[in-house]
Amino acid sequence: MSLPVPTAPDARYGEVYDRGYGHYEGTRRGRLQGVWALARWSMARALGLKKGWGSKVIPILLYVGALLPVVAVIGITAFVPAADVFGYADYFGGIFLLEGIFVATIAPEMMSPDRREGVLPLYFSRPISRPDYVVAKLVAAAILTLSISLLPATILWLGRQLLADAPLDAMRDNLGDLGRIAVAGGLIALYLGAIGLLISSFTGRKGVAVGVIVLGFLISEALSGALTFALAEQGTLTDWVALLSPTRTSAGLVEGLWPTIEGPEFGTFVSFPLWAIGAAMVAVVAVCCAVMFGRYAGRD
Amino acid sequence: MTVTIDPAIASTAAAPVPDGPPVIETRGLTKRYKSVVALDALDLTVPSTAIGLLGANGAGKTTLIKLLLGLIRPDGGDAVVLGRDTRTEAVAIRAAVGYMPEGDCLPADATAADFVAHMAEVSGLPPRAARQRAADVLYQVGLDEARYRAIKGFSTGMKQRVKLAQAIVHDPRLVFLDEPTNGMDPQGRDEMLALIVRIQRLLGIAVVLSSHILDDIERVCRYVVILDGGRLVASQPLAGMDPGGGDLYVRVDGDPAAFLARLHALGVDAAPAGEAHGRDEIVVRRNGHDAFDAVRDAAADLGLPLRQLRAQTRSLEDLYFGNVEAANRERR
Repeated sequence: MSLPVPTAPDARYGEVYDRGYGHYEGTRRGRLQGVWALARWSMARALGLKKGWGSKVIPILLYVGALLPVVAVIGITAFVPAADVFGYADYFGGIFLLEGIFVATIAPEMMSPDRREGVLPLYFSRPISRPDYVVAKLVAAAILTLSISLLPATILWLGRQLLADAPLDAMRDNLGDLGRIAVAGGLIALYLGAIGLLISSFTGRKGVAVGVIVLGFLISEALSGALTFALAEQGTLTDWVALLSPTRTSAGLVEGLWPTIEGPEFGTFVSFPLWAIGAAMVAVVAVCCAVMFGRYAGRD
Repeated sequence: MTVTIDPAIASTAAAPVPDGPPVIETRGLTKRYKSVVALDALDLTVPSTAIGLLGANGAGKTTLIKLLLGLIRPDGGDAVVLGRDTRTEAVAIRAAVGYMPEGDCLPADATAADFVAHMAEVSGLPPRAARQRAADVLYQVGLDEARYRAIKGFSTGMKQRVKLAQAIVHDPRLVFLDEPTNGMDPQGRDEMLALIVRIQRLLGIAVVLSSHILDDIERVCRYVVILDGGRLVASQPLAGMDPGGGDLYVRVDGDPAAFLARLHALGVDAAPAGEAHGRDEIVVRRNGHDAFDAVRDAAADLGLPLRQLRAQTRSLEDLYFGNVEAANRERR
């Protein structure tokens, strides 16, 4: 066994050092460092890092759930190249529920404890502003939701190209798919993440936030579905009410990016033009951010 | 763990207030919450030392701290902290100050080391330096061995130490401590006050100690600011309030009237002490001149033996209640 070696110039083994608190003379970084530190801390806590196993189980299962189909598709394609396995649209449709659960897990963990445990006054007494706090949380939520939405789909794309007879040619030929994956994965992640954060910012209780997010998705889905069929004869009005449902909105985006040959089945998704659906999702993200900025702005 | 105080820093209130630029200046600082005036045209200049912010609950202490941190905007007047305007340079001020809030503010399932390092990073320290500083400061506040335990298992005293550690981990020039001994047992309170004295005296960090406990302020601070109902009722050094620093109460064997006349002849402000003190007791005001010499000379001139020479004890309690009552009378 080796003994620790003292590092001070004139040190002897066994010498006792003064570890007293002194003045800090080193580098001080700006606000960006503070915002990034807060974002990293939020991500780590949402994933249960440096916490007990109970906090890690759900995020791990959700990541496994998102990556398993990707691994399965790549494996099947590797051994049975002619197999007709599902495409990108099927993948995004399949993992939407999983993304919703993921957001319902991480968003309350990011926002609610700060409020419940009274940590907010500490953050606001540091050299970051209140909008900086919201930005840090948005960055953290965006990175995590992208990691479960965009990353597996990108791995799926990369695996498919690498399994092709000429991988480089395949990559070049299928760059359009990669762009569509970025749009679908990015927009759906930001859309769900922003809604989840907004709901979580209103309560200090994680359980309440999780419940409201899950119930909110279910109720909006049911309401949107009922109104769509009730207004079936009203033309584009059905598409407007379908926007109430995150599931149908996201499905509409995916259908716009990878159109099916037979066309959309009535009532399953929004059939507005792709740009309109994208704009609607961006608008929802913007409204959620605006409300959060307003909520955390200084109250005089 | 018991924290011992270096004898050189043990004496607090008796020490003079150091010279130097003020750490806090306010001019007409006013804050209203709807119809309630939380702070009313506060004019304040306080030196860089251990400052006691004293007042009853609702006196405006926490509102003043929030205004000085730039967390809320004043309705009138200005505040300058460490030479910076709170309206326009709040972020720069917060980089140079620390804040320990009164209530719970710690994440239960984080370890003390992780959380204090995180707060150092949020204040702009690089990650590696932040971890080193967190270890040093937790050692300094007496949590060296407990720093890798989750905060939820800490006692109230340990949590207060973590709160103090996060307030000073980024090496601030000024630290605001809002009721730092709240909920602590007598030993924990002693240790917390000793820590506060240490960071002010040994490290030169200016401290604003907000409290409604007179004893805490008397033991730690050299300067006191007293608020009542949002108004400033006193802002002064504590140096003149050491025990025995008040007026003299004198009795002589002989004619008190002749003794009083002699004191007047020597230019001393003196008067009968009143019925409550006995007919023959004389109070000698210590307003500038050397009252002890005058009493000695008057007694010697008349050949009267001194039966009693007692200096009135003036404590922070006297100052507080005297000023608050005077302010209330003025308001009525």
